[in-house]
Amino acid sequence: MSKPSDVVQGTLDMLLLKILALEPMNGFSISQRLKQVSGDVLQVSDGSLYPALHKLEQEGWITATWRTTENNRRAKFYSLTILGRRHLEKETTNWSRLSSAISRVVKLREA
Amino acid sequence: MQFRQWVYTVPLRLRSLFQRQKADQDLDDELSYHIEQKTKEYISSGMSVHEARRAALLEMGGMEKIREQCRSARRVNTLQDFFQDSRYSLRMLRKNPGFTGVVVLTLGLGIGANTAVFSVVYAVLLRPLPYPNSQELVSILERNEHAAIKQRGCSYQDIQVLGDGKAFTNVGGAVRHQLTLTGSGDPTTVGTVVVTPDIFPVLDVNPVLGRYLLANDDHKGAAPVVVLSEGLWRDRFGANPGVVGTAIVLDQRAFTVVGIMPSGFRIPVVEPHQDIWIAISQDPLFSTFLRTRANSMFTFGRMKPGASLAQTQSQTDGVSAQLASDFPAENQGWEVRISPLQKATIGDMKTPLLVLLGAVGLVLLLACINIANLLLARATSRTRELAVRQALGAARSRIIRQLLTESAVAGSLGAIVGVGFAYWGVRLLRLLLPSTTPSVDRVELGAWVLGFALLLSATAVVGFGSAPALLATSSEMQRNLKDGAQSGSSGARLKLRGFLAGVEIALAMVLVVGAGLLVRSLMAMTSVNPGFEAAHVLRAEVSLPRYQYSTPRQWTAFSNMLLERVHAQPDLKDSALAVPLPVVDSAVNLEFSIVGHAALPPGMPATADYVSISPGYFQVMGIPLLRGRSFSEQDSMSSPLVTMISASFARVYFQNENPLGQTLMFGFPPGPPVAREIVGIVGDIHDSKLTKEAAPMMYVPFAQAPFWGGELVVKSTRPSSAIVGSIRQVVRTIDKNLPVTDIATMPDVLQESVAQPRFRTWLLSAFGIVALLLAAAGVFGVLSYSVASRTREFGVRAALGASPARIGTMIVSEGLGLAFIGLIVGAAGAFALARLLRSELYGITTHDPVTFLVAAVALLSTALAACLIPAWRAMWTDPIIGLRCE
Repeated sequence: MSKPSDVVQGTLDMLLLKILALEPMNGFSISQRLKQVSGDVLQVSDGSLYPALHKLEQEGWITATWRTTENNRRAKFYSLTILGRRHLEKETTNWSRLSSAISRVVKLREA
Repeated sequence: MQFRQWVYTVPLRLRSLFQRQKADQDLDDELSYHIEQKTKEYISSGMSVHEARRAALLEMGGMEKIREQCRSARRVNTLQDFFQDSRYSLRMLRKNPGFTGVVVLTLGLGIGANTAVFSVVYAVLLRPLPYPNSQELVSILERNEHAAIKQRGCSYQDIQVLGDGKAFTNVGGAVRHQLTLTGSGDPTTVGTVVVTPDIFPVLDVNPVLGRYLLANDDHKGAAPVVVLSEGLWRDRFGANPGVVGTAIVLDQRAFTVVGIMPSGFRIPVVEPHQDIWIAISQDPLFSTFLRTRANSMFTFGRMKPGASLAQTQSQTDGVSAQLASDFPAENQGWEVRISPLQKATIGDMKTPLLVLLGAVGLVLLLACINIANLLLARATSRTRELAVRQALGAARSRIIRQLLTESAVAGSLGAIVGVGFAYWGVRLLRLLLPSTTPSVDRVELGAWVLGFALLLSATAVVGFGSAPALLATSSEMQRNLKDGAQSGSSGARLKLRGFLAGVEIALAMVLVVGAGLLVRSLMAMTSVNPGFEAAHVLRAEVSLPRYQYSTPRQWTAFSNMLLERVHAQPDLKDSALAVPLPVVDSAVNLEFSIVGHAALPPGMPATADYVSISPGYFQVMGIPLLRGRSFSEQDSMSSPLVTMISASFARVYFQNENPLGQTLMFGFPPGPPVAREIVGIVGDIHDSKLTKEAAPMMYVPFAQAPFWGGELVVKSTRPSSAIVGSIRQVVRTIDKNLPVTDIATMPDVLQESVAQPRFRTWLLSAFGIVALLLAAAGVFGVLSYSVASRTREFGVRAALGASPARIGTMIVSEGLGLAFIGLIVGAAGAFALARLLRSELYGITTHDPVTFLVAAVALLSTALAACLIPAWRAMWTDPIIGLRCE
């Protein structure tokens, strides 16, 4: 990977769950928030966002409702389910284990 | 997936399945909201409206692709695709009525025939017997290894002892008899089963009305009672419930009706046609020798609940030992053996039925191969379509799924048609099945049989659908796109089709040989010279009620009067009386000894078949007198006792001695053995059945060994109806209550005696012919395809000067090559089948060369015929067309 562009699948799932864990959001706001929090390092194209959301919905980790936004438009809001929260916890633990392991490896000095 | 998850996912799936449009609309709304917001964002950052929208769309990427990805996240695509594919398949099938017709009809016939044959297999071999807890029921037999007697029924005494013992809940015995029912309508004989009353609790079937027989009905001096079958009750007594408690007249004796058994009830094995049941001590015949060993009954027992066969057998062994020590005279050397009742009822039907099922299964396999061949050919013509779809991004699995769905839809139609055929097939089989087939009345299209049809159809669809689907989507597909449909003659497909045609020939060879062996056996059976002349001989049975005609003197008086009056009729002049008739009746095999000869070693008793005849019998039956004299009117009760023997008797037991003038000792039970002088020797006959070799016979004059009835045999060229009329008239002048029954011409009787083998032979021959046709269609299909795809090659050959004859020979030898390989493999298979058929064969060996040769010739000529049209087409390929054809 020469450019840190596409988020590894699975990691995207975790990011989305984490974002939704804070508050229910619609797809557009999620894409905004993703950019906002990760800067330009994690570029999630709008094209891959929606299939990912739909997949999470089908897994039963998030659930969706149609609500009116502040500017009086109907939008689909996603929120985390209990199952999703549990899954997120599991994934987060896994992730921190993995990332700390990787960073230990990366920080190894050449002897 | 855990349950909690379902709470969220199931409604979603259902929604995307049933509210597909709504779900799609929601998706569109969601995406367009995103685009709108994004556009607004860009506008506020200073872009023009147009630019902003463009940028938003660009960032989103291909809308259609996203939609498809979101949809596939819903995971109901498989189901939706299936419906879509099914609709598409139905459209395709409608558009190709020829193809559809052939597939549906071939498959329908295959499944129908299989289901029908399976219905018989199920009824006879698999279905539990119609008694509660039938797994507890056993058949009880006795065997005597010293006397080399493998099996016979138990004696009355043994049944009582076994029933009182610990091994069984109940034990009952039964034998068949015929009694004459008079009073209600014409006198008629009724199928009577004479039982020990415990047989009813053994079988545990309740009467529809009244009660069944109880132990006291069998006690000495009990009032005669009878239980009727529902069938007789309806036919003769109009289903009147008032019959119970009234008396009916059997053999001129009043029996009180105590109960009616339901229509399906039958005591197993004894007799297919059962009208009434009476206790054995009430029976005019069997009650006379109740206590002797000569009385042997079909015996059935119900094991204790939960007891295994082995446990019960070991307990029974104890009873055998006890019996042998208590009654050494009767029971020394006899062992009681038990076996599951189902096995006893099946008898020797298992192998022939399984062979038939296997044969019809092969026919279905052939049908499936033909359909697979057809699908392969069609896949070729669709090569381009499939290649384009794959190029446009359809996954291989998706296309395989579509092709399989098409097969499944065609298969389902075939299955529906098949069940329709099966319905008629079952009805036809019930008509055609010989009445001696066990459980024949239980052959029906039940749930299990339909389940079998379903399973079979599914297997067939996978069988014929998978190879074409896999091959059509193989990697060379890509090349096909370039090449175009015509020359994309994929070698793999042609090779597979050739292989399939070879397999078809092999299967057809197996079936044709099997059918051929049975046909040859049947021919051998029917051309057996029975030793008597059946032509123009008619038989009719006259039996006397034993209560009125109770003494031998009365029987003799009756038979004398009958013969005298019969002989007075001009058209009945050539007639005689005999008991039992060869082939018609079961043979009576008696032990005998020769006065002055050393006694034979124990375990090897000398026996011969016994027949009591009136003078003139040999003449009527056309059995030649070889030496000595025949019986005459002078041989009577008051003259010296005489006997006549058959040629094989003389050969086996007298070798170089002169039998005439020697003395035999034998007697018909319950009478004791008496001495009889041999006065004559007659030709051999096949006594018990046509297929059994002529056995030693001993004949006695009817007047010296009378019976309570007999078989009248009449030789006359007049129509049988006229003769029957005359016989009835004569009998009526003697006693108007006597029935004349079992009227048949001897040739018919002989035919009837091979009804089971004939039925099998016809069925297997039909399968063989169908197999031959299917194989021919297979070879024809493969060669036609091969020729059509090589038009160009033939054009080039013709242009280069190959003569039509040469091209024709090439095609024919290609076809015959396939056939030849198939034949060799098939012959090996046929040997295996013949081995299975061994017990059904008569007069030929399992590797009968004539059958194999004829089958091979039949198959080769069929294959040759199938080659001709494709060869003709190849021969006359116009070089120009051939070359242009691209």
